[in-house]
Amino acid sequence: MSLLALNDVNVTTEAGGRPVDVLRDVSLAIGRGELVGVVGESGAGKSMVGRLIAGMLPRGFAASRGSVTFRDRDLLAMAPRERTGLLGDAIAFVPQHPMTSLNPVLSLGAQFDEHLRRLGQEGKAARRERAVAALDSVHLPRPADLLTRFPHQLSGGQCQRALIAMAFAGKPDLIIADEPTTALDVITQARVMELIDELQRDSETGLLFITHDLRLAAQHCQRIAVMYAGEIVETGPAAALLGDPLHPYTRSLVAANPGIGGPVRRLTALPDHMPGLSGFADLPGCRFAPRCPVRDEACAAARTALTEVAPGRFVRGAGACREAASAAAGQGDLPDAEIAAAAPILSVSGLGKTFRSGRDWLGRRRAPVVAVDGVSLDIAPGEFVGLVGESGSGKSTVARLLLGLETPDDGRIVVDGQDITGPFQRTAKQRIALIQMIFQDPQSALNPRQRIGRLVTQSMEVRRPPARWPERLERARDLLGQTGLPQDTIGRYPVQVSGGQRQRVNIARALCTAPKVLVADEIVSGLDVSVQAQILNLLLDMRAQRRISMLFISHDLSVVRYLCSRVAIMNRGRIVEQGPTEEVFRTPQHDYTKALLAAVP
Amino acid sequence: MSGEILGIVLRRIAVAIPLMLLVSILVFIVLRLIPADPVAMSMPPNATNEDIEALRREMGLHLPVMHQYAIWLGHILEGDLGRSIAFGQPVFKLIGQSLPATIELAAFGALFATAIGLPGGILLFRLRGRPSEQAVDVGSTLMMSIPEFLWALFLILVFGVAFNLLPFAGRLPPDMTIPKVTGFLLLDCLLTGDFTAFLEAIRHMLLPALALALGTVPLIMRLLRSSLLDVIGEDYVTMARLRGVPERRVVNRHALRNALLPTLSLMGVQFGFLFGGTLLVEVIYSYPGLGNLMVEAVRNTDLPIIQGAALVFALAVLTINLAVDVVYIVVNPKLRRAR
Repeated sequence: MSLLALNDVNVTTEAGGRPVDVLRDVSLAIGRGELVGVVGESGAGKSMVGRLIAGMLPRGFAASRGSVTFRDRDLLAMAPRERTGLLGDAIAFVPQHPMTSLNPVLSLGAQFDEHLRRLGQEGKAARRERAVAALDSVHLPRPADLLTRFPHQLSGGQCQRALIAMAFAGKPDLIIADEPTTALDVITQARVMELIDELQRDSETGLLFITHDLRLAAQHCQRIAVMYAGEIVETGPAAALLGDPLHPYTRSLVAANPGIGGPVRRLTALPDHMPGLSGFADLPGCRFAPRCPVRDEACAAARTALTEVAPGRFVRGAGACREAASAAAGQGDLPDAEIAAAAPILSVSGLGKTFRSGRDWLGRRRAPVVAVDGVSLDIAPGEFVGLVGESGSGKSTVARLLLGLETPDDGRIVVDGQDITGPFQRTAKQRIALIQMIFQDPQSALNPRQRIGRLVTQSMEVRRPPARWPERLERARDLLGQTGLPQDTIGRYPVQVSGGQRQRVNIARALCTAPKVLVADEIVSGLDVSVQAQILNLLLDMRAQRRISMLFISHDLSVVRYLCSRVAIMNRGRIVEQGPTEEVFRTPQHDYTKALLAAVP
Repeated sequence: MSGEILGIVLRRIAVAIPLMLLVSILVFIVLRLIPADPVAMSMPPNATNEDIEALRREMGLHLPVMHQYAIWLGHILEGDLGRSIAFGQPVFKLIGQSLPATIELAAFGALFATAIGLPGGILLFRLRGRPSEQAVDVGSTLMMSIPEFLWALFLILVFGVAFNLLPFAGRLPPDMTIPKVTGFLLLDCLLTGDFTAFLEAIRHMLLPALALALGTVPLIMRLLRSSLLDVIGEDYVTMARLRGVPERRVVNRHALRNALLPTLSLMGVQFGFLFGGTLLVEVIYSYPGLGNLMVEAVRNTDLPIIQGAALVFALAVLTINLAVDVVYIVVNPKLRRAR
C-alpha cells in the first residue's frame, strides 16, 4: 500500500469564463522510503501537485475529481484543521528559495524552537538540544553558534541545509521538495542532493522531488513522472525513462539537453512553448499535440489515456506516436566555429577590481573585497568563449567591467584594436559600437512601458542627431528577422510575448549596433529546457552567419560545452583554468574544475 | 548586540549636536529679525533715549550679532535661558515646570496612536476582500482628514458635554492637589500613594491624548495593512504555513514582525509631529503644559520663552527619532553587523 496516492485527480479553475483543468487525470504513488521525481517545465503543474497535497491551492483553484490518499485516508475529505495538523509533522516541505524561506527577523534558533514546539517537544532546553542535533545531522559546522544567527548571515546552501534539517526534524512520513536546489550553485546543489539522499536513506520517509531537471531527477529518484501542461505524460523507473524515453515530449526533453559527455550534436528544439492556463481550454485532446513532431488529426481531438507498456511504465497517447517518434535525438553534427587565427577581437589583460565599500558603525573601513584579480582573456573573431564559475566568483563583475559599468583598477580592455579601459563617460561612444550586453533576465531588462520595436533600437537614440523613426522601424524589422521573431511583435509590449520570445528581444537589442563582441550573462538559465535549446541554436546560427564573438557567462557546463570552443573557469576572482572546452572537460587540471565537473548531474 | 546599539546611539548623538547648533542659530536669527524690540518693551513709555541706550548696553545689544549669539549660547549651555519678560522668572524654571505635563500628554498620545493603530492595521488586513473592508477604509480616510483641534472639540462635545463622561479641563479636579516630586503628575501620584488622584489624572488625560492620537491612527493602520499585504506573499510566510503554524500565529509572529519595520519609520516621523500638535490641544483643554506657556509667550512677545520652547521642541523631535532608530535596530537584525 502506498504512503501517498493521487488517484485521477483534476484541479480546476476558471480562465476567461471557462472552467480549466490545471491538473488533469493525475495519478501518482509514493511508497514509504521511496524517492519519486516529478519533472516538468515551468507551468506544467508540478508545483500544483505539491500545493494540492499541502491543501494550499491558490484562491479559485479546487480539486474537482479524484482523491489524494495519505496513510489510507483521503486528504480531500479531511477537515481543514486536521489537514493543517499534518503539515510540518507528517508531511514536511523543502522550499525552492532557501534564502527567503526563513523569516529574516527571527534567529535560526527562534524558528527551530517554534517548529519543535509545534511538533510537541516540551521544554526549551530540550528543544535547543534537538535543534543542535538536527543541524548537526545536516553537517552544518558549529550548530549551537548557528542557532544565534539570522538568515541574512547564512549562505544559500546553509539556509537550505537548515530547512532540510527542519523538514526531517519531525521524522515525517512524506517530504515534498519543490525545486530544492534550483537557487543553488552546481557544487552546492550536488552536496544538498547528496544530503537529501543520505537523510532519506536512513529513514522511512517518502520523498516527492519536484524539479525541471530530468537528469538530476534521474540521478536521485527511483521513479519519475514527467508532466506537461497539467498532465502526466510518462512515468516509470528513472533509469529506463531517461535511457529510453517513449513519449514524444520526454524524448524532446532529453534531446534538448546538451549533456556533458558524448558527441556534441545540434539540439532538436521543440517549436513554440507550452500553452498557459488560458490555452488549456482550447486543447480538448492531447495537450502536447500543437508542438508534437508526430501529431495527426486524431491526437488533437481525442483525449489520450495512460497505458502500461512495461511493468510500472506508463505512457500517455496512442501507440502510433511512440513508434513514429523515433526520429528524435540529434539532427547531425554541429558546424565547427570558424575561428580566424588572426588577432583577437577582444583582448583583456591583467584585469583587476577591488571593491572598497562600507564602514562599520565605528567608522572603520571594512576589509576590501577583491572581486576580479588578474583576469586575462582573448576572444578571436567568430569565437564563443565560456566563462564558468559559481555565484560570487566574480564572473558578472568581469561582464560589468567589459561594458564599462565599473571601472577597473588594473589591466587593459582592447576591442578591435581600440583601448576602452577608461571610465564609461569617456569611452561610451566607442563601447556602444563595439561591445554589447545581453542581460540575464529579460523581464527586468526590458522597459515594460515600451513597445518591442522601440526597445530593440534603443541604442540608436544616442546618435546625434537621433535616428528618425522610419529608420529605426526598418532596423527593428531586420533585427526581429535575425532573431526569429514574428514581425507583428514589433508593436507589442514585453509582457505580451512569451519568455523565450522576450529573451530573443533581449538578444535583438544587443545586436542593434552590430557590435563586434557580445557579453551574455546567464542568458538561458531562466529558460525552460525546450526554449533554451531554441535560443542556443539561434546563437549558433548567428555565429555562423555573422561571425560574431561572444563571452558566454554561465554556471551550466553542458550549455558551455555546446556553445563554446574555449572555456575559462573562474573561482574567487581568478581564472584558475583556461583552454579548449573539450580538453578542459576531459582532462581538468585544477581541483576546482574537477569539483565542478563532478557536480554535474 | 547591546554594544552595537550603544555605538549607534552615540553616533546619532554626535550627529544631533551640530543639528541642535543649527537650530539654535535659526531660532536666534529669526527672533532677531521679527519686529519686536525687547528694550522698548521693558521700558516705561516716558523713558529717555539715554535710558534706552543704557539698557541696550546692559542687555548687550550693542555688541556684534555673532558676539551676542556666543553669549546667548554660553548661557544656554549653563542652563540659563534668560528671564521671561512677562513673568520675570527664569525661562529654564518656567519650561521645567510645564515640560513634564507635555511629555506625559505626548507620550500618552503616542501610546494611544500605537494601541489603536496597530490592531486597527491588523483588523484592516484581516478584513481584506470583504465588504466591511470598504467601510473601515472610508472611516479611516475620514479620520485622517480631521485635524487634531477639531478632534479635540468633537471629543469635548461628545464625551465631555453630551454624555458627561470625562473631564476636559486641566490635569486634575480643581479641589485636588498633589505635592510636586518629579513634575510628572502620574508618577507623583504613585509616589505619594494617592490612587484616587492617579485615576483622576488618567481621566483628565484621556480626551486630550486621544485628540492627539486620532489623526495619526489611520496612517499607521493603512501603512501596516499594505506592509502586511506585501509580506504575506513572501516565501517565509508560505513556509511557516507549510510547517503547520496556525494562521493567527503566521500573521502575528511571522508577517507582523516584518511588516512593522516601515510602520516604525512612519511612527517616528508622526510622533515628532504629535509633540508639536500638543500646542493646540493644550490650549483647548486648558492643559498647563509647554504649549500653553508658548501661546502665552507669543501673545506677550516674550522672546526668551519662545526661544527656549523652540529649542525644547527641536530637542524633543531629535530624541524621538533617536528612540525610534534604536527600536528599529532592535527589531531588524539586518541592521546589526555579523559578529
